[in-house]
Formats: sequence, structure tokens, C-alpha cells
Amino acid sequence: MMRVQNTAPEGFIALDNSALIYPPTEAVFNANTFRISLDLVQTIRPEILEQAVHDLMTRCSYAKVSLHKGFFWYFLSPNTKEMVIHPEGSYPSGRFFFKENNSYLLRVVYSSHRIGVECFHALTDGSGALAYLKLLVQRYCHHAGIANFSFPGGLDFEQKPTKQEFSDPFQHLYDKTLPSFPKISKAYHRKGTGSFDDRVKVISATVKTAQIKERAKARGITIGEYLSSVFLNSLQQLQMQEVPKQKNRKPIRLSVPMNLRKIFGYDTMRNFTLFAVIGIEPALGSYTFDEVAKEVHLQMALSQDRKRLLSQIKRNVMGERTPLIRFAPNALKNPLFKLLSDFLGDDQYSGVISNIGQMALPPELADSVSRIDFHLSPGLLNKVAIAVIGYLDTLVINFTSFFNEDTELERLFCTFLVEDGIPVTLSTNRNTDR
Amino acid sequence: MAYCVQCGVKLEEGSKRCPLCNTEVHLPDGVQEQPSEPLFAQPLPPAGMGGITKTRKGVIELILSLAVVSELTVALSMILSGNLAYSFIPLFSIAMATLSLILAFSNKPTFSRQASIQFLLVALYLLGIDAADLTLSWSLAASPGLALLWMYVIFPTPARMRKAPRRNASLMVGATLAYLALLNLVFSGSFTWFVPVALPSLLVLVLLCSLFLFWFSKRHNKTVPLADIVLGTLVVLFFSATAFDLFLSKYQRGLYILRWSDSLLLSGLIIFLFLVSVSVSRRVRRYFTSHNRHV
Repeated sequence: MMRVQNTAPEGFIALDNSALIYPPTEAVFNANTFRISLDLVQTIRPEILEQAVHDLMTRCSYAKVSLHKGFFWYFLSPNTKEMVIHPEGSYPSGRFFFKENNSYLLRVVYSSHRIGVECFHALTDGSGALAYLKLLVQRYCHHAGIANFSFPGGLDFEQKPTKQEFSDPFQHLYDKTLPSFPKISKAYHRKGTGSFDDRVKVISATVKTAQIKERAKARGITIGEYLSSVFLNSLQQLQMQEVPKQKNRKPIRLSVPMNLRKIFGYDTMRNFTLFAVIGIEPALGSYTFDEVAKEVHLQMALSQDRKRLLSQIKRNVMGERTPLIRFAPNALKNPLFKLLSDFLGDDQYSGVISNIGQMALPPELADSVSRIDFHLSPGLLNKVAIAVIGYLDTLVINFTSFFNEDTELERLFCTFLVEDGIPVTLSTNRNTDR
Repeated sequence: MAYCVQCGVKLEEGSKRCPLCNTEVHLPDGVQEQPSEPLFAQPLPPAGMGGITKTRKGVIELILSLAVVSELTVALSMILSGNLAYSFIPLFSIAMATLSLILAFSNKPTFSRQASIQFLLVALYLLGIDAADLTLSWSLAASPGLALLWMYVIFPTPARMRKAPRRNASLMVGATLAYLALLNLVFSGSFTWFVPVALPSLLVLVLLCSLFLFWFSKRHNKTVPLADIVLGTLVVLFFSATAFDLFLSKYQRGLYILRWSDSLLLSGLIIFLFLVSVSVSRRVRRYFTSHNRHV
């Protein structure tokens, strides 16, 4: 990071390593956005929310940037415009129209009871956006007279932004002597049935955390691993229907984002996530759920190994530092990045499941929160994505999909939970003659 | 709060159908549920936009405005230069190019859909410029020719051929016959060479293809080696060419004689005998192997 900034012109903020891929690959069916929202019991007053957003302009200066297309690279620069808030639309995590948002990469949305933050991934990852949302809710509640509190583990509003919040740890952790991370073969991609369009359809499943924890514990795995196993198991069933011959079945893999902050001890507010690619090989035979869970548990443990992560970081940063890529014009690099995004990204896995974890609420706020949501934008190759977030005693599993009618994956996932003894409550923005 | 009887999930209040399996919710008589708060502030917008996004809409508007300007410029220049009588072809060309670009941007970018649209537009364009003098001549061969090309290049997608191979193959053969008949009718006014030459030659080709496919499908080993497919294709082509030569000589000279295809016939026969002998030797070998004796 410093290496780039030392020679960079005024107002030039280099994208962090994992953000480089998002601007060139951004498209109708590849929005690269996500949304985190919090529903309050109280009615949201937009004028107070605007005030809260204004409050954060100095403290959360990592979000006060706009994206620009340079000759060699996309880059960020400080944004002097005022951040605007938007009434919530009909679907989350859609394509980002930067101009409508005064060129900000972070969009604050609200409805009668909801405050949400929608983020283009080039700015930050889930943890960075969550930190912003926590501070925003804190300021809103302060101004609205709901309560005065601060989130456990959140940013301190009174403090000045630290240098670490802007840092790109990938550059610090890059070690050119390490061997590069091995490539992985193509994974199974579900074709699905029926039509699809770019409207993000959501099915939201709510379960009790204690119940799912109990079922996961019985198998010796974490909640995240349990949900990944259910996802893999559902995809396995779908592939068995689609590909009757066992030897023709492709590997089923999931991309599971891992927050590296705790592993490497950085407090950056920019992207600091790598993806664990975990999966099963259905060509070897069908897996029982317990076998899937075992595979997931072992592979997750391996994926979080520091040495493997460093090797993965080496592979990613090495590309950026190659002189041929570094000094190639953006117009040439963009198609290359699109190909890279397919080969090193979407092609390798059959689905994405992102578990942002339990959002700890301060006691003053606990009674005022009615719901918390996390949504991911789906992709063209993997048209269903799963985002998980927990709060209080509830876990919300949001399925975002481009399919208009096909809900088979969601059905298999939810019915498995029900059959495993976990009651599931559903809500949706799909047209179900409500 | 209702449960889905199929999936067992609990549904939000006021739901009429399960979002997972679309099963209808039946509440006990007299029980009514108030619709719960929607998941998002506004319901999904209607899907009327289809594949047209905001950017595409802008591009389409730009194309339309450029087309209008071009049409007006060309029309005015033709009028001012006194060549109004020749203005149909340039104006029609601009209109068709505009239509082609608009359809390319407003439809789903799938190969078969886009290629089909462009094939249709080119066929219509050819008919249009041929009809500039109010008569149709060469376009009656060119446009159906494009349709036939579509039938062979765009229509047989792997998925479609897997779904109904026989029906689709019959359609392709039927389209070829129809095109040849049309050509004969357009340029000669009646079926002069179609019935005595084209029809029987094509029937021989179809018959030979069917025989080989039947032979290959009845084999013990269902996986046909590539060499057999290549050699089988050569036999079919050589024999069909021979048949064509025979029918053509009968049509032109009134005699069934081989004029240029005797070497093809000989080569076809040799390859055919080779294929048969390989197949027989395989059977003989299999007969004497222990595996087959115990079956």
C-alpha cells in the first residue's frame, strides 16, 4: 500500500488487492454488492438519519471516497460531495448506480423501520460495512433520543480514524518467496429452470440460533459449517437429478468468505477477506449429510491455516505486481480481469455462502431491534447466493436469486433444516399472492 | 400463522402460497390472517423491462435518434439531387440496420436467439432490396437459402438434438427437400430436375444414414469408435454421390450409367467391406473369449 501511495498523486487512493477485481467485472448480473440492514421498532425519520450520516463523514472517512477509472488502474479519491440517503426500493443488492449516489460506493437506505447500508465491494467487505452501520445506528439512536450506547467491538465515534483503517494488509502480508496457491478445476454450476432477470428475489428463512447450534454441535461442527454442509447437500441432490451418470458429475464447491482480521490481527476497514473453497466430489459417489459435514469441517480448518492463506495472498498480490499487468492500460486489463474473475472465481465454485456471524447488540438497543438482514448479490453463473447473519437469539438466512420461478435449491435447503428438527419461518419479496 | 403442508416451513402471516413449492395455503373456515409487513418497502416491479436495462435503453434511444437523422439526411439529399426514384434501397438499408441493432440490444444475448433474429432480418432485407423494382427474382433463392442455413447451423442446438433427435433430423431433411423443390420451381417453373434427381438422391442419402445408424445402434458395444463414424460417413457420402451420378445421367442422357463416380463407388465398397470385416472379426473374437461364453 505504502509502495503505491508514496508515488501516487494527491487524492489517489489505490484499491486494495481484493477490490481490484470488482470494478472491471461489475455488470448487470454481477453487481458485486451486498446489503446489511437493521430494523428498529421505532419509525425511522429521514431527516435524523441524514444528520447521522453527516456525523460519520469525518469518522468513517474510509467510506468518503468515489471510484475513478485511471489509465492504468481504477482508483479511489476523496469525495467532497454530501452523502445522500435513499428510500428502500423493492429489492436489495442490485446493481449500483454511482451517479445517483453522488459517486459514493456506499449507499444508505431507509424504510419506515429500516436502516440499511448497501455497499459496492470495491470499497470494503462485510465487516467494514457492518462497522459503518453500527456507528450509523448509534448516531441515529442518539439523535432520535432512542438510547445512547456504543456497539461492542464497533468503531469509537469519538476517536479519530486510525491509519490501520485505511491500510491494505494484503500488501504487508505479501511474501514473494512463497509458492503460489494451486489452481482448482471447474465446479458444478446449476443451470436451474425457467427464466431469470436482474431483479434480486429474496427468500428469507429465520431460525432460532440455539436450535441450529444444537444440531451443529451434535455433529461436532460450527453453525457456519453446518449451513455450508446443508448448502452442499442440497446442491448434491440437484446435481444427481441433473446428471444421472455418477462419473459425469463435477465437483461441488462453495466459496465461503473468511474474515482475516482476527487471523492476522489487522483492524482495516477495507477489504480483508479471502475465500475458502470447500466442497465434495460427487463423481466418487453420493455423500450422506454427515460425510458432507465431515468434509466441510476438515476443509474449513485447512483453509484457515495461516500458511495456506499467505500462499493465497501471494497468488493474488503477485498478479497485481507483475510489471506487464501493472503497466498495461486499463482497457487491456479489464477483459483480462473478467477472465480471471471467471477462472479464479465463479468457475471454481457452485455457490457462495457468506456468514457474517452474530451481531452483538448493546443492551440499550436490544429491545428496539426487530430484525437484522444481510443480502449478497447473486452472479450469472451461480444465480443463488446465501447470506447469514445472527442477532439476539435469531439467525437470518437470506437466499438471493435471479431466478423468477425456480426455488428448488431454497426448498431443499429449508426442508432439510425442518427435517433435521429446526423450525424455519419464511418471508419473501417474491410474488406469492400475498 | 400457517405452515406449508409440503415443506413444513412456517409462512409469514397473510401468505397465500408457499414461496418454496407454491403450495396453496388453506386456513380453517372463519380464520383470516392480516397481511404481515412486506419484506421490502415496495413490492417487486413488474418484469416488463425484460432484458432492457437502463444503459441499453440509452443506447437504443441513441441508435433511434441517429437512424432518424440518417433517414432524413439521405431522403433530403436524394430529393435535392433529383434521385428520389432510387431512394428506396438506401432508406430501407438504414431502417433494417437500425432494426437489427435495436433487436440486438433489446433481446437476451443468447447465441441462438440473436443469430435467429439476425438471420431473419438479413432474409427480409434481401427480399426487400430485390423487391425494389417491384419484382422478386434472386431473393427467392437467397432468402430461403438463409433459412436452410439457419436450419443447419442455429436450429440444431445440442440440447434440442438430445431432446428429439429423430424429429429434428427429419425436419432438417424436410427443409432441404423443400428448398431444392423451391429452387427448381422458381428457376424452371416446374419440377424438372427435382423429382428425377434431387428427391431420389436425397432419399438414398437418408436411407444409407438410417441403415448405418441402425447398424451402429445394434452393436454389442454402444460406444462407436470415431474411426467407424468417419469411415461410415465416407461410405454414405460415396454411395450417395454414386446414386446422384446415376440419377443425373438418367435425367440428362436417359441412361443409368456411371460417368465420374465409379472410383467413389469402388472406394465406398472397399471401406464398407473393411467395416464389415472388422465388425465380424470383433464378433468372432468375442465369441471365443471366456467373458462371452459364460453370458
